[in-house]
Amino acid sequence: MKRLRRAWAELLEGFRIASGALVGARLRTFLTTLGIVIGVSTVIAIVAIIQGLDRSFEAQIQFLGAHTLYVDRAPWIQSDNTWWMYRNRKKITLEELRAVQRESRLAVSVAPMVGTRAKVARGGVELESVNVRGTTEEYLEANGGGVQAGRFLVTGDVELARNAVVLGTDVVDRLFPGEAPSAAVGKKVLVAGRPFQVVGVLERQGQLLGMPLDNVAVMPYPTFGRIFGTQRGMVISVAAPPGKVAELESELTPILRRARRVMPGKPDDFAFNRQDQFLKLYKQLTGALYGMAVGVGLITLIVGGIGIMNIMLVSVHERTREIGVRRALGARRSTILIQFLIESAAVAALGGAVGTAVGLGVAQLVALLSPLAAAATPSAIIFGIAFSTATGLVFGIWPAWRAANLDPVEALRYE
Amino acid sequence: MTEAPLISVENLTRLYTVGEEEVRALDGVSFDVQRGEWVAVVGQSGSGKSTLMNLIGALDTPTSGSYRINGHDVEKLSDDELADLRNNEIGFVFQTFQLLSRSTALANVELPLVYRGVSRKERRELAVKALESVGLANRMHHRPNELSGGQRQRVAIARALVGSPSLLLADEPTGNLDSATGEEIIRLFGELNRHGHTILLVTHEPRLAARCPRAIRLSDGKVVADGPGAEVASLGAPPAPPPHAGAAA
Ligand SMILES: Nc1ncnc2c1ncn2[C@@H]1O[C@H](COP(=O)(O)OP(=O)(O)O)[C@@H](O)[C@H]1O
Ligand SMILES: [Mg+2]
Repeated sequence: MKRLRRAWAELLEGFRIASGALVGARLRTFLTTLGIVIGVSTVIAIVAIIQGLDRSFEAQIQFLGAHTLYVDRAPWIQSDNTWWMYRNRKKITLEELRAVQRESRLAVSVAPMVGTRAKVARGGVELESVNVRGTTEEYLEANGGGVQAGRFLVTGDVELARNAVVLGTDVVDRLFPGEAPSAAVGKKVLVAGRPFQVVGVLERQGQLLGMPLDNVAVMPYPTFGRIFGTQRGMVISVAAPPGKVAELESELTPILRRARRVMPGKPDDFAFNRQDQFLKLYKQLTGALYGMAVGVGLITLIVGGIGIMNIMLVSVHERTREIGVRRALGARRSTILIQFLIESAAVAALGGAVGTAVGLGVAQLVALLSPLAAAATPSAIIFGIAFSTATGLVFGIWPAWRAANLDPVEALRYE
Repeated sequence: MTEAPLISVENLTRLYTVGEEEVRALDGVSFDVQRGEWVAVVGQSGSGKSTLMNLIGALDTPTSGSYRINGHDVEKLSDDELADLRNNEIGFVFQTFQLLSRSTALANVELPLVYRGVSRKERRELAVKALESVGLANRMHHRPNELSGGQRQRVAIARALVGSPSLLLADEPTGNLDSATGEEIIRLFGELNRHGHTILLVTHEPRLAARCPRAIRLSDGKVVADGPGAEVASLGAPPAPPPHAGAAA
């Protein structure tokens, strides 16, 4: 009980001394914590921006179906210098599409996707470079999203190869300025010089990694072939029942190998692309950013920590007599040690709190002035303060140890 | 006197090594002090008075010899136990006061009780009482730089008294005070002694030593005289000054 009371009283005394010392030397406290403030605010700002990116990226990636395989001749995400491996592969053609449609039992929907860039015009307005896609009515099932006005392609559009087109919001906004999307439905537009009827308008999808996704015109696959030729390669989107993507991949592999006449023992000459590969790539990118944040944070915390250590050494030096007095009056070594540890931890925690506030402020500012988003999570705040406090403790050990091991007689005599 | 002495010093030696040379700051010092005594320690500068006080105050450890206070064998104690011994048994009064400049008189006086684990309330009560006993009831919330030298030394004495130690150690407590103020402080010590405090007081002023019932004279780290204050003080009277017919030391 008495020991506990003594420990508690000493701890309180430590806090009292620390606050007295910090307030007493305001300029020094400020300078000491500057390193920590800069370090913590940098890390907090980076982390807040990354977390903001995460949220908007997760929203963006929704345009790729979560349970959908995109069969292409090459993977969409390639590591460095491997593009030449895929360059000579055969295109994906109607033959593979038919094989998948015929043989796959798991597939919920199968849709071809071909694309090019072409001019879309109405009246005097000409849009030079719109992403024109050819597909079937099953496209939406595989890809998610929907139409906000009119309808999507239907079986009849595809079977009869109608000149029907579904437009993205960017295209509608520019061809029908100032009008509601529904106003476009039923109107005529020119796609690559041919007359088309607008049957629907897609929902807005935003952008993916900076690429706009709404500058599109979607038409039936046979219509696309009639206008742009049938020789270009396609991507086949195949949707699996939820949770069955891997199974679907195993089912499709032999179907595709047969259709493409891949000799046994030879590697696949096609690739399955998935949404989560984008997520993986994204995680790698942000992982690098996190790594940078951690690197910057560590370096500045070390610099800040060394600053704290120096200032604490000066403080110990200046207070040599005080230490001698305390020792003479009955303070143990451990008491002095704890007193100075509290002080350096308190300085660092102060710096950490200020740094966290500054970092969040910077992140908000960046979010305001740029398309980036910022998110402030409680964990980042706690982490920032806890980490700087720990830094203060670690870098306070040496000065505190020096203080605790001063010889009382020498300390009392110190001028 | 059947009771054991409060402190018992035997053959105490303290060597300092300065470069190649060995300094015998204290050289085989032995004496006892009974409870309730008031003993002056006198001697020329460099004779080992402060070294002796530091050893008796458990701030320093001897090179050889033994030292007991209130039943504790000091040379057997760990560093933590020495700290606790200082806290419980010793009250220090220094020539330079050694008050914490950022703390009030009250906080300064409370400090030894903080290290003893006394509750806040009790600490406050005891500190107030100690300050009252040295006549500073109306200066409790002043900081040292708002007090005169004599008042500062009174705060220091209150701090030394507050934990009811068995021994008061004062190393030249009047050294930084003018003679009138020094006189007051010595009178205060006399009063404390009459109330039962055991006091060991270092001074180089024979006039003050002469007022102590007992004095010990050190020279070159050795005890050269131990007897009634008036006698011992006159023994070492510096060659030139006061009107004493003392024999040469
Ligand atoms: N820390 C030390 N290192 C070396 N020599 C010391 C030290 N402290 C004291 N001395 C020497 O020990 C002797 C006694 O010193 P001290 O006890 O301070 O004398 P006094 O207090 O009587 O003036 C002196 O010669 C002094 O120089
Ligand atoms: Mg001295």
